[in-house]
Amino acid sequence: MPDKYIHGTIDGIKISVLKETTILSASKLLDINIPTLCHHEGLVPDGNCRLCTVEIGSKLAVSCLYPLREDNFTVNTKSPKVHEARRFVLSLLIARAPKAPRIIALAKEYGALPSNRFLPEADNCIRCGKCVRICKINRTEAISLVGRGPERIVTGPFLKPPEDCIGCLACGLNCPTGNIPFREKDGIRSIWGRNFNLVPCPECGTALFTKEELDFHKEFAADYCPTCRRKKIAGDLLNCQNLLVRSN
Amino acid sequence: MPDLHSLSEILLSRPNKPVELLALMQLIQAKYRYLPEEALRELASYLKLPLSRVFAVAGFYKALSLTPKGEKLVKVCCGTACHLKGARQIQGALEEKLKIKLGETGADGKLSLESVNCVGACALAPVVMIDETVFGKTTPKNIGELPLLT
Ligand code: FES
Ligand code: FES
Repeated sequence: MPDKYIHGTIDGIKISVLKETTILSASKLLDINIPTLCHHEGLVPDGNCRLCTVEIGSKLAVSCLYPLREDNFTVNTKSPKVHEARRFVLSLLIARAPKAPRIIALAKEYGALPSNRFLPEADNCIRCGKCVRICKINRTEAISLVGRGPERIVTGPFLKPPEDCIGCLACGLNCPTGNIPFREKDGIRSIWGRNFNLVPCPECGTALFTKEELDFHKEFAADYCPTCRRKKIAGDLLNCQNLLVRSN
Repeated sequence: MPDLHSLSEILLSRPNKPVELLALMQLIQAKYRYLPEEALRELASYLKLPLSRVFAVAGFYKALSLTPKGEKLVKVCCGTACHLKGARQIQGALEEKLKIKLGETGADGKLSLESVNCVGACALAPVVMIDETVFGKTTPKNIGELPLLT
């Protein structure tokens, strides 16, 4: 159905995309890089960090959220207006997260100095909620954003270590400011003030998952680490083949 | 741990559907004057909702509290109209009179002092509310005559 496609340009390059494609996805198709913090391919976009701002027509738009709907669109991801918008966003983000390497690098790139308009406690969390959304889509939903306005924080229920946490690290690995510390030592994984025992692969001893993770994902959990599992499956196949050959 | 004797009655008074979350929280708040942790745990398992979501909702609304509130709730309106008419002074006078700060509850558990943002009686600004009663045209002076400590 050709009318489902719309046409336009991004940074002067012609492109045709399915209607409803976001500007961010369309730009990716052209290998045009737009900086993002709160975006994740596997999540419904939430538009919290505002860093992915671009220009469509003469308006500014948040590219991770903005669906292309009209023909003959012109998107500009590098105009001075875009640069200025991102610089402003970064001046707020750097005030909030002055120690986050990613934010420091971006602020430098865009020439953003920390804003002094607000005086937040700089705790390196930009409240983008990516961790919470990831935890939710993983069905653990152990942490949430609690409180309003300047008091908003990410926490486990009752401000305690989250009891529904299975130690999967999805939040920590995806935090754009690296503000969710975790570590692994002597077969113990620690995150959110909790410690989890890692279960070693019975074949090679590599410990990749926590006991809680294996229990939670019973449907696809295996005892073996992926490498050993692959070897085992290959071995099984080989055995089958041998059997078949022999029975012939 | 608080005495939660009638909690199951409260819970069973509404169907166990997620949409009942807020309604049940209000009932629990009305009964115990706050949302005890144990009650929220029961509520979460009754509605089959993750504890984190229940806690987030509990933390979002000003009408809900995670710490015990006083028997009487004194609210100073700090909305725009009241602010312009001197809500700050009213707040100061109340803090002095009640010997508690905004957001606190007296040690005897009798009174809590809070701020609200507009109670919809701007013509009477500055406004103080005690439980469900509105007192308008307050001044740091006449605040003493409010039936606060009865
Ligand atoms: S990535 Fe688009 S708003 Fe954060
Ligand atoms: S601002 Fe106080 S009643 Fe409206």
